[in-house]
Amino acid sequence: MSNAPIEARGLVRSFGDVKAVEGVDLTVAEGEVFGFLGPNGAGKSTTVRMLVTLLRPTAGTARVAGFDVVRDAHQVRRAIGVALQDAAIDPLMTGNELVRLQAVLHGIPRRVAEARGAELLERVGLTGAADRRVGTYSGGMRRRLDLALALVHEPKVLFLDEPTTGLDPTSRVSLWEEVRRLNTELGTTVFLTTQYLEEADELAHRIAIIDGGRIVREGIPAELKASVGAPTLKVDVALASVDAARSVLAQFGAERPARAGRIAIGLPEGAAQMPAVVRALDDAGVRVSHLELDSPSLDDVFADATGRRLEGADE
Amino acid sequence: MTATVVEASPCRAGAIAQAYELARRSTVNMWRQPQAWAPGLFFPLMLTAVYAAQFAKAIHQPGFPPVDSYLDFVLPASVLQAVAFGATGGAAELAKDIENGFFDRLVTSPVSRVSILVGRIAGSAIFAGFQAGLIMVLLIAFGVTIKGGVASAAVIMITAVLLALGIGGLGLVLALRSGSQEIVQSTFPVLFVLLFVSGTFWPTSLMKGWYGNVARHNPITWIIEPLRELVIEGWSWGSAGRALGITFGLAVFTTSLAFATMRARLRRL
Repeated sequence: MSNAPIEARGLVRSFGDVKAVEGVDLTVAEGEVFGFLGPNGAGKSTTVRMLVTLLRPTAGTARVAGFDVVRDAHQVRRAIGVALQDAAIDPLMTGNELVRLQAVLHGIPRRVAEARGAELLERVGLTGAADRRVGTYSGGMRRRLDLALALVHEPKVLFLDEPTTGLDPTSRVSLWEEVRRLNTELGTTVFLTTQYLEEADELAHRIAIIDGGRIVREGIPAELKASVGAPTLKVDVALASVDAARSVLAQFGAERPARAGRIAIGLPEGAAQMPAVVRALDDAGVRVSHLELDSPSLDDVFADATGRRLEGADE
Repeated sequence: MTATVVEASPCRAGAIAQAYELARRSTVNMWRQPQAWAPGLFFPLMLTAVYAAQFAKAIHQPGFPPVDSYLDFVLPASVLQAVAFGATGGAAELAKDIENGFFDRLVTSPVSRVSILVGRIAGSAIFAGFQAGLIMVLLIAFGVTIKGGVASAAVIMITAVLLALGIGGLGLVLALRSGSQEIVQSTFPVLFVLLFVSGTFWPTSLMKGWYGNVARHNPITWIIEPLRELVIEGWSWGSAGRALGITFGLAVFTTSLAFATMRARLRRL
């Protein structure tokens, strides 16, 4: 194994007969934002729970911040910051009380905790709400507080498990900015799980796509997208014309997975082929209600790897 | 290989500071949810008032212990009843932490595992002490005299705290095994029956048939009767020792079981 802040080899986790994670290998470099992308139930959270010492691997090994997640679990916990799915925050406590509690749990004296708490709450824009009970916070405020709690001991490795799930677009963008700032200003290594393509694309230096408990693609987003090749042409037609449209479009490129009522193909020459495609559809009498040409996206990478679109990615 | 050692803290405040902060959270949270504890306090007081009116003359019947009023007789029962009803509150809160993921937050931090339970247990003990003190003050204001004096009042209070830990410990075991508030709260009917089929509200010497037999063999009776002796007869080392001994044994047994269950739960992960 190397000196990477996060490294897993052959990580497996079974629940009875069900294998949630089936041999995950990954390496995250220092100072990197690593996106772990996959649909619900793909094994993202199970992998994270093993890396943050909440679950023991059934097989395989993992080291975080240089420590084995099973043998040196206590040292791993001292080194990492964790914001798990659903921002498990006690609604009866105030922001200030929670930050102080989290600090004491990490062995920081109360006097230091007060100052660090104030600084962190200011950083995430919660100074004004610091003495309010968390039960009165919005979803975005809870996530920002969760992030502040994960940072209270200045960890070098930060795990964010679906940090923006359920947030409105404004809160999501604000959280992205904070994660970016943490990474660039403090050099924090971030392991981010997400089911949002845009989030992975925006934040991650490198991503791994997990599906069915296995990593199916891994690399730099731009390179992964380039590897898919041609842009995707998406055509919406009336249900009665689907077969006719499909046979016309098949002349131009290979079909790609798409939602119901839509046909997608890879268009090797991109925009240059568009006039010919439109003419051919018109000649075949196919009425097109919507047509768009997209550059390769992470969704295309996912589709290329799994034969399916990522849930909600096409919406 | 070279480890990337990241110091989590500038100093080790230690398990005591962590347990203190978790106990503080437990107590403050309880205080912030009066709807969770007020009924458990109000119900025994109401029952005491009803029984005091109902049994006002019954205290003169032959065989009833010599008391000035039924309130003298029922004080230890009122205290233990309130404490018993509130005893699983801390365990239900732990189950809630497990359900909503707060427990995971604790477990992914380098907190001492012992502190997590000690914090909960200490919070329950503080709350039980508050309940016991409040009920005794109220009943004394209504004319009850504790013949054994301050020492007896202190024994009643400590016994109440130990009983809360004993019952609460079982609740913690259920919370850690099931992670479900409903299952922890399902112990309430069992407690209710245990309290009512005992010498809580009536002398066991005046009970007949199977009810009397069950009441005389009920551990709640073994705790209440010596406490009652401290109130209506006066100080006795024997009575104090019996009440404290039984509840101490129960508390040690159930909290040890809770710590073992915690270790098993964390090993299972």
